[in-house]
Amino acid sequence: MATISFRGVGKRYRNGVAAVHGLDLEIAHQEFLVLLGPSGCGKSTTLNMIAGLEEITEGVLRFDDQVMNNVPAHKRDVAMVFQSYALYPHKTVFENIAFGLRMRRTPEAELRRRVLDAAERLEITPLLERLPGQLSGGQRQRVALGRAMVRRPAVFLMDEPLSNLDASLRIAMRAQIRHLHAQMRTTFVYVTHDQAEALTLADRIVVMRDGAIQQIGTPDDIYERPQTVFVASFLGSPAINLLEGELTSEDGGLVFRRGALAIPLPPERAARIGRVAREVVLGLRAEDVGGRDSGPTLDGRVDTVMPAGSDLFIGLKVEGLDVFVRVDKQARISEGERVSLPLVGNRLHLFDRASGRSLDEAA
Amino acid sequence: MSEPVRLAPPTLPRLLRGAGLAVASLVLLLYVLGPVCWLLSSSLQTEREIVSIPPHWIPEAPTLRNFEAIVATGLGRPLPTAGPDPASGGFIPSTAANLLPAMLNSLVVAVSIVALNLLVAVPAAYALAKIRFRGRQAALYGILATRVVPDIALVVPFFLVIRKLGLLDTLFSLIVTYLAVTVPFSVFILTSFFEQLPDDLDKAARVDGCSRVQVLLRVFLPLARPALVAVGLFAFLSSWNEFLLALMFTQTAASQTLPIIVASFTSDFTVSFSFLNAAGVLAVVPPVVLAVLFERHIVSGLTAGAVKG
Amino acid sequence: MQVAAPLVSHDERAASGLLLPLGVVLIGVTLIPIAYSFWTSLYALNLRRPRLVPFVGLDNYGAVLSSPAFIAAVARTASFTVMAVTAVSVIALLVALLLNQEFPGRRVLSACLLIPWAIPSVANGLMWKWIYDANYGALNGLLLQLGVIQHGMIWLGDPSRTLPLIANAFVWKEVPLAAILLLVNLKAIPADLHAAARVDGAPAWQRFRHVTLPALRPGFTLVAVYEAMVAVRHFDLFFLLTEGGPGNVSDVVAWRVYVETFRNLNFGLGAAMAYILALATLLMSYGFIRALAQRV
Repeated sequence: MATISFRGVGKRYRNGVAAVHGLDLEIAHQEFLVLLGPSGCGKSTTLNMIAGLEEITEGVLRFDDQVMNNVPAHKRDVAMVFQSYALYPHKTVFENIAFGLRMRRTPEAELRRRVLDAAERLEITPLLERLPGQLSGGQRQRVALGRAMVRRPAVFLMDEPLSNLDASLRIAMRAQIRHLHAQMRTTFVYVTHDQAEALTLADRIVVMRDGAIQQIGTPDDIYERPQTVFVASFLGSPAINLLEGELTSEDGGLVFRRGALAIPLPPERAARIGRVAREVVLGLRAEDVGGRDSGPTLDGRVDTVMPAGSDLFIGLKVEGLDVFVRVDKQARISEGERVSLPLVGNRLHLFDRASGRSLDEAA
Repeated sequence: MSEPVRLAPPTLPRLLRGAGLAVASLVLLLYVLGPVCWLLSSSLQTEREIVSIPPHWIPEAPTLRNFEAIVATGLGRPLPTAGPDPASGGFIPSTAANLLPAMLNSLVVAVSIVALNLLVAVPAAYALAKIRFRGRQAALYGILATRVVPDIALVVPFFLVIRKLGLLDTLFSLIVTYLAVTVPFSVFILTSFFEQLPDDLDKAARVDGCSRVQVLLRVFLPLARPALVAVGLFAFLSSWNEFLLALMFTQTAASQTLPIIVASFTSDFTVSFSFLNAAGVLAVVPPVVLAVLFERHIVSGLTAGAVKG
Repeated sequence: MQVAAPLVSHDERAASGLLLPLGVVLIGVTLIPIAYSFWTSLYALNLRRPRLVPFVGLDNYGAVLSSPAFIAAVARTASFTVMAVTAVSVIALLVALLLNQEFPGRRVLSACLLIPWAIPSVANGLMWKWIYDANYGALNGLLLQLGVIQHGMIWLGDPSRTLPLIANAFVWKEVPLAAILLLVNLKAIPADLHAAARVDGAPAWQRFRHVTLPALRPGFTLVAVYEAMVAVRHFDLFFLLTEGGPGNVSDVVAWRVYVETFRNLNFGLGAAMAYILALATLLMSYGFIRALAQRV
């Protein structure tokens, strides 16, 4: 079984462009790790490096203790599910699933057993003699899963396998994949740009941007304690509200100021942060309004009221910025009204404006 | 309440278009087939008929005499005695016996070229299409560049080298030089084709345990049938039709190919005209049959180049 | 800790193995002879006097470039090429326009179209030589029957007609390929362009001039460059039909090289001439190759 370790790993193309650089990452055995980020961030490249499909130009990649840098893809014990499924068009479903086992010279009886078993688990047994061209998208996806499952690999790689499915199917498949992970008890490395998907599936998330790791942590860590503005704004739906302003020291405590808006921070926070008079960015999630009525408030004029089924969102104009918050469904608020919404001091995120890094990080 | 469906009445513009297309098609057909049909018609005429003025477009007394002569002499039998004497001079030369052997030479060379093209071009095309290696761009340029040099320029060095190696007048020298001349286009067609196959397919196969060569053999080759047919056709036709190099490198019937023998009759003023045309028909039939049967493949092979270019 | 990347990656080793046969063929059979040819051109190698092979450096090149015979041949080649390329482009366009329409029997027409392309150039030469025959040829026969001429005319033997007639035979064989290339271009023109022009009220001729023709520029360029390359180096018809005659009316560069090398046995000079032709063709088609290779 495999722990995967990246030390200082990078991939630089011949024209100098680096798809990935300075990667330090330890993936634990049997972990479900998600690589999350926007397109071009290097997550697929990283996945391909684990598979052996991309050359590593710097650093060391190890499976357990074995250096894998120069081991070609076909010699690695890795299985992969592709976004396009990449089924062999000229082979039947059975042969597609069996192909990897055939290449590894698995005895015929064992091979049949495994393929039929996988087909049954994925509920595609009646499709075994069909060709990929005759299948629907969802069916093809399951065949692709079957092909990888049947290998019982040390590492299971998935490159945005659900992106081409309809929304409802996607959510059903997420459950299937989690279930698969529990059954197979093997290391899963999963790439996606969908933050909701990452939050539901992962044991740990690696957020990437421009070829580098922004943050590694559990979904809870990443969501509640983002270390950079980027991470904070990438996760969460609707996106976090970001307000630029200044942090000043007043009356022995810290206050966030933007124009007329003044939000004092709780004393524990102030102690942790230290230096003052900084240019900062305040991060406020839509769901972080509410709480005791005494305490800091967010004042603004209601711009839009957006009922959304189970929730009620309002768009506020605060010091020239649009802020979206979620309020109690029963609240009666109308456009044009001035409101004052209570905030929870500890649920506010603060980032240094220049570096984008969280001010709490140092603590 | 739905309206009854009405057929559009034949309007004048539509009739005109139909007529125009018919006329244009006829003209094209005449242009393309006319000369060839005349070749065929001439080959079926007796020598007396062929020299009539104005010419008989359709033979009034068609005969297979010329073809019989080709087959007979080729198989070593004596010429069949002619019917009515030819009106003007013109006879069937003894070198007619070389036609069938020459056809065999052409066939041997063409088939070898097809096989060798596939053997050489398929792996190269896969590497060029799916492996990102240092110097790939340069390799592509280079391969195409070898075809820029006109055959005439290659003839001189080829001739000197082949002569030095004592390989003049052998099929081997033809096969080797034809291979060099046909392989770049084959590589081009196959590379275009492989590039269109998804990269993910290649990756999936590698992850499944295939080395690069195994990916080619087990995944890409089975999917490449139309391109392989196109390459085979082009290689066969290029080889069958080639003239200049064969002219230079062959001296006797041992290695002379069909175009050379046919050409030798063309410059012989005593040869009977109808016989000449019969020899021409012999050279024309295999390529024409292939072209008409495999038109789809040929066109897609040619357009692969056009789309890329 | 750094792991040394191998000098040649696994992929690259696979690639070199896969490319090896091709490399052997191209380098062995094309590049080496080309280099050898250049080396030969630096010597006054005449097979009539094989022992006497003085090194003459670039003298052969000088002799070729200053020889009036060669320059005249270049002029004839140029005129032949211009004639051929123009005719091919025009006829191929008409054919492509026709085949772009939908009508019953189009498939049959397409299949027949390939016939001139498929037949050997020898057969092509033979066929047209017979058609042009002064005594019994079909051309004379046809024109006589139609009453266009009163008595049979000499065609290939007439210096003013030779090049155009050879060009005609050449064009006949080249039209199919050119038509296919143009047809691909035609099919690629988005239907929206024509629809927009129609909505704007443009009549068919205008649409052709302002939508179709400009959109065909890549196709025409491809056809023109390719056919020019083929025409400049064409040898077969000149050998079969006229052997450079009558006089030296059809004495084109390709014929010059042949005569110099295989009739005068002046290999050094012939090599130099061939090299010059090769270089000229290389320059001419430089743009063509760049465009082609860039898309691959």
